Amino acid sequence: MISPLLTDPLFLEGAIKILFVFVLVTAALVISARNLASLLTTYTIQSLLLALIAGLLYLIEGSPVLLSIAALTFVSKVLLIPFFINIVEEKVKIRRDMKFNYLEPTSSLMVSIALVLLAYVFLSGFFALDRLFFFGAVIGLSLTLMGMLVMFSRRKVITKVLGYLTMENGVLLFGIFVTELPFIIEVLIIIDLIILVLLTTILAVGIDSTIEEYHQRLLKLKIWSGREYL
Amino acid sequence: MSEPLLVSGLSLLLLGTVLSLLYRSRTCRTGSLGLTCLSSCLLVVFAGEVLYGGREVLIESYSFLSPLEFNFLIDRLSAGFVLLISLVSLGVSLYSIKYVEDDKSEGRKSLHVALMNLFIFSMLLVVLSANGFSFLLFWELMSISSLFLVIYEYEKPESRKAALFYFIMTSLSTVFLFSAFIGLYSRTGSFDFRGFGLLDPKAVSGIFLALFFGFAIKAGAVPFHKWLPYAHPASPSNISALMSGVMLKVAIYGLLRFLLAVEPELWWGVLVLVFGSVSALLGVVYALKENDIKRMLAYSSIENVGLILIGIGLYLIFRVSGLAGLAGLSLAAAGFHCLNHALFKSLLFMAAGSVVHETGTRNLEEMGGLVKRMPRTALLFLIGAVSIAALPPTNGFVSELMLFQAFFSSSALAGANAPFLKVLLVISLSALALTSALAATLFVKVFGITFLAQPRTECAKQAGEVPKIMLLGQAIPAALCILTGLFSSRLFALFGFPVEVEVPDMLFVGGILTGAYLLVWLSVRNFGPSSGPRVSEETWGCGILAQHPTMEYSSAGFSEPLVLIFKKIYRTQLSSSRTFADSRECVFEHGTAEIRLMKFFDEYLYLPVAQAVDRVSMEVSRLQNGRLDTYVLYVFLAVLVLMIFTRWFA
Repeated sequence: MISPLLTDPLFLEGAIKILFVFVLVTAALVISARNLASLLTTYTIQSLLLALIAGLLYLIEGSPVLLSIAALTFVSKVLLIPFFINIVEEKVKIRRDMKFNYLEPTSSLMVSIALVLLAYVFLSGFFALDRLFFFGAVIGLSLTLMGMLVMFSRRKVITKVLGYLTMENGVLLFGIFVTELPFIIEVLIIIDLIILVLLTTILAVGIDSTIEEYHQRLLKLKIWSGREYL
Repeated sequence: MSEPLLVSGLSLLLLGTVLSLLYRSRTCRTGSLGLTCLSSCLLVVFAGEVLYGGREVLIESYSFLSPLEFNFLIDRLSAGFVLLISLVSLGVSLYSIKYVEDDKSEGRKSLHVALMNLFIFSMLLVVLSANGFSFLLFWELMSISSLFLVIYEYEKPESRKAALFYFIMTSLSTVFLFSAFIGLYSRTGSFDFRGFGLLDPKAVSGIFLALFFGFAIKAGAVPFHKWLPYAHPASPSNISALMSGVMLKVAIYGLLRFLLAVEPELWWGVLVLVFGSVSALLGVVYALKENDIKRMLAYSSIENVGLILIGIGLYLIFRVSGLAGLAGLSLAAAGFHCLNHALFKSLLFMAAGSVVHETGTRNLEEMGGLVKRMPRTALLFLIGAVSIAALPPTNGFVSELMLFQAFFSSSALAGANAPFLKVLLVISLSALALTSALAATLFVKVFGITFLAQPRTECAKQAGEVPKIMLLGQAIPAALCILTGLFSSRLFALFGFPVEVEVPDMLFVGGILTGAYLLVWLSVRNFGPSSGPRVSEETWGCGILAQHPTMEYSSAGFSEPLVLIFKKIYRTQLSSSRTFADSRECVFEHGTAEIRLMKFFDEYLYLPVAQAVDRVSMEVSRLQNGRLDTYVLYVFLAVLVLMIFTRWFA
């Protein structure tokens, strides 16, 4: 009963569009959630949605690269990275991130609505409006911008990392729908590596702090001596 | 045949750099400088052959991407400058063998030699470059290696200040050159210098201005000259010799390379002539009041760069006016003065370095009587001084005479602009005449105060002659100053430069002069006062019992009349205050008096620009608050602006 549906492009496109809405909802949650555990859960769900989208797209287009992207996303972003961050969250004492910069959650949400609109109008200049990949691109771009918004509006390092990961999810989504695939695979791997390095560094220096404290620690380590020469 | 000479010469220089960097021993340093000498000899032969043969070779060495290529062009112009660089390097490297050993630290001595070799290497490759890419690359290498040599004595605050000043000015020069080459690329699609000739004459003026300002900053033309009087005294004397003698000429080379390839406009010539005349006159006027021997030589370099620019300006004016013969004469004068200034200025800097080395001071007021203690250095300095003061039969005389000849023949100018040009040329000629006279006065003062009379201080009394190898290093440019002067007309003929207005045969003039000097010497010896009976009597000492060095003519005293004449230029400010013990102001209690020289360019040009830059930087630094969040916010906003721009405005 399910298999005919899986070969029906109309159904698949509809499913993908529904998933797009869920992705947007998760992005809004990442912006507004204060509890770190739920933030992580939201991110995991978002990554899972992405894996699903890639899988469904594979069913429409049949390109094996899409399947590998789905698998890669599932393994790295649904299992591996949440697992690491979970370990970190267990080690540090903080459970909530209440500190904000420049934008409070409510205004952040308003800004993100504007961002989605901007992405829509921006991309409508380049693509035909009713195609699936146009929506994919819009959602991808909005997700990237919203991730960036999280990065500068939240103050805890761990939330910033989740913002960065969200941004990267946006890039992945954009890549799936717009860019040529083999190239984006390489970029994904590189970005994943960067994330890994970032996580490792933060794990090594300490994650239970705001970015200013982190900077102070680096100063103590004399990475930046801060001394001015003539 | 020639290219192996070039390649081996350059390779030896690089080998010398690496050698002194790898092994920090005296043997290696001497070996490295020996390699520099050998390389200079090879390059002199190479350059002579190209100049004589007059052939052109293009060497394509390496290409990164399509426009970014290392291409080298060897023609008469570049060969002339290779000859100039190699001749000076030969003398300086011999001089440096002993000179560099003065420092205490082995590492610094080796670094000194390595950087010097790298400096020479980069200058050679700048003048050989055939496109903007390799030119700029080696130009920067030249600037950076010389910067490190300026900051060699980094413990001294004055060296740090000089290096900072030099760095800012040289970067500014690079900015201008860079924009000029980008302009060249945008119009011709290539960085190749051969593209200069293809440029649209109407669009080329912007490139000319950018190149002229870029090169004028590096050559030290007024008002971009301020780095010279800082950098030369701060750097070691052998480096001053190279910087003043050679590096300034590399900038002149760049200007010539461009001007010879394009079709110039009249206002270019007027601009260059005005800059040249002002630089020449102000250079020597500022030099006159200096008591620091190396700073004085630095100001004199500004004057000589002015003379070279006058020659180039005349060349442009005559060329546009269709007077090819006079244009050739002016160009030959400018080119020959480049060589001459390289020779005598490096000689003077080395001789001044010897004096500073022996007396431990750069202040002229603390020297004196050195002719008895350093007779050979005195002779060599005298040869340099005579050449730079343009006395016959030295090379300085020939090049200045050619400039004067070009000016005198300017009555041939015709056309709508002729009256204006003639007035301009007369004004410029009077500036040149005054400059020549003041330069002679300047070097009478420097030689007299430094070498004649009694030593003024204990340091001057303790001075002794420098080692022979240092003298040999100075003897090479000294000999060349006289030889290029004597054989100047033959050299021009040999290297195939047609100079229509004939260069006087200095060999003949020299012969007559030598004969006259001999005659005077013999007659004084045989019939002069010392030939008769001698009477020893104490002379009248104005009532003072013993003659003391403090009663000698001082450096400041010598230039006092000129300082008075040019006080409008120096803008000397006298201020005094007095207090009196009584109310009727009869009993003097306390007083202060101060003579201050206003630094015109500092106060009206450099400081306002520096303050403006400072203000803008303060505003910009507010954006840089050290917080990651803020930076991410900037990136975010930049992305949004980009999106909006590409969607609606691009």
